[in-house]
Amino acid sequence: MALVEVDHLTVRFGGLTAINDLSFTTEEGSITALIGPNGAGKTTAFNCLTGFYKPTEGDVRFDGKSLAPLKPHEITALGIIRTFQNVRLFKRMSVMENVMSGPHSITKQSVFGALFHGPAQKKEEAFIRQTALESMEFAGIADLGDSIAQDLPYGLQRRVELARAIAAKPRLMLLDEPAAGLNDAEKEELMALIRRCRDELGITVFLIEHDMDMIMNLAEKIVVISFGSKIAEGTPDEVKNDSVVIEAYLGSEDEPA
Amino acid sequence: MKQSTSLRAFLGKRSTQWTGILVVLIFAVTLPLYANIYVIGVAWNALFYMLLALGCNVIVGYAGLCDLGYSSKVAIGAYTTAILMKTFGWNFWATLPVSILASAIIACLVGMPTLRLRGDYLAIVTLGFSEIIRLVARNLNVTGSASGISGIKSPVIFGVKFSTPWMQYFIFLILVIIFIFVSLRLKRSRFGRALEYMREDEDAARAMGVNVPRFKLLAFVIGSVMGGLAGSFYAVKMGSFSPSYVTFTESAYILLIVVLGGMGKTPGMLLGATLFIVLQEIFRNVGNSRMLIFGILLVLIMIFRPQGIWPDKRPSFLPSRRERKQLSERTETHGTG
Repeated sequence: MALVEVDHLTVRFGGLTAINDLSFTTEEGSITALIGPNGAGKTTAFNCLTGFYKPTEGDVRFDGKSLAPLKPHEITALGIIRTFQNVRLFKRMSVMENVMSGPHSITKQSVFGALFHGPAQKKEEAFIRQTALESMEFAGIADLGDSIAQDLPYGLQRRVELARAIAAKPRLMLLDEPAAGLNDAEKEELMALIRRCRDELGITVFLIEHDMDMIMNLAEKIVVISFGSKIAEGTPDEVKNDSVVIEAYLGSEDEPA
Repeated sequence: MKQSTSLRAFLGKRSTQWTGILVVLIFAVTLPLYANIYVIGVAWNALFYMLLALGCNVIVGYAGLCDLGYSSKVAIGAYTTAILMKTFGWNFWATLPVSILASAIIACLVGMPTLRLRGDYLAIVTLGFSEIIRLVARNLNVTGSASGISGIKSPVIFGVKFSTPWMQYFIFLILVIIFIFVSLRLKRSRFGRALEYMREDEDAARAMGVNVPRFKLLAFVIGSVMGGLAGSFYAVKMGSFSPSYVTFTESAYILLIVVLGGMGKTPGMLLGATLFIVLQEIFRNVGNSRMLIFGILLVLIMIFRPQGIWPDKRPSFLPSRRERKQLSERTETHGTG
């Protein structure tokens, strides 16, 4: 069964239809990309998956469970983690503290645990730190633990954000334009890291991206949307040669200049 | 051999910190031996404001919620204790659990519908709620209307009356230590970090699975309970409590200390409260114009040191090599529940 099912999804803001009857699926363990020209509704579709927006019609399901009635933190608890288009770290906190927010959704000690500091609390605190350390190691930022997040160069901040997502031990990772603002070398490294997330940790990856190089290299399946509707779906090669896609991106040939 | 090197590393890193804490503690404990009544009174006042600042810090500093009505939380605790002792003849200590409960329930009632509001809106709600508390207290018979409740009996502790100045001083000192302990424990935990994530970036915190409304409410309740407890002790210390305490100025002082000391920083609260009280004493003879001085001070702090006077330093969560092994051993049995 598909891990993610977007089923006849429609989202309207007042009179504007941002997403119109969009359907596609993502298999467990795959890397899927959602692409489309500016304003096509990529981010809106993304926000429906993370609970930040609610579908007007249709449904979004994860592992057979509808995400529509859930709040963002409940969606995260299911094992879905997201990153943001313009890196959103906890800027004035250390890298380690940032990554320690990852296991938040898979731990549960609260006020009384904090106050009485019993064995369960100690064990969980150790688990959080250990998970954070492993994730930092995995993302290649193990020696940056004590640095303040906002002092790092942008490329490393991306890595911290990814490490934070990995530390949540998710089943599905949603990446919102992970390559935005990166140079070619950084992009290569990031692609390798994302691929390792899937290969070594078994995390299903779903990303929206502008960068065609990245998409064609990374994704196994591509869904193309334009003006809120799906116009193509397939492997990178299929999509690359699809005349409708080329038209949506470049305009048709007989259109007056 | 192994132990002595790790001990030395431990001391080397932390010795200045521990020396500082020890010096302050010895000074605080021995103060009544050589200080006169006036100084003990001033010191008590500083301790009282430390309690308020530490409580307010959980709401304003940790959770980043703007609360302009903290004095009303003190009033809830003070009135609960005053009414139970005066009208129902309860023992002081027995009123404390009720005071905690009353503070928590009222904080829930106010917090649940309003904590969804961001920044300025929440500030206005808390300000308004504080006015409501004042006006209700003024107009109810059970709260003694405008003149308040007076003649609250001073409890006896280990054969010493609570009204003895040094006894008051020590009881509040112990309270401050408990509040510091609570603050530090809260801060260095999953709960405390979640509050900080929320304060830094609410959307990102939500995306990481923080149940934002719930954690805001918890912080609001904890801060209110701390204020209520401080109020209960304040009521028996003063022997009376009246609505004239619940003013915006009083709430503003508490907020001033929190901002001055450095939001979210426990030692900053202690320093801020001490500074506030000492400055107040120094400028006592200029009367009401000392408010002007505090105003200027606050403006200067906001311009030159918005993070407060206490130095900004993040705790390190990186483990030592020895600890690294323990961590992995301890987590081996931990599932992902």
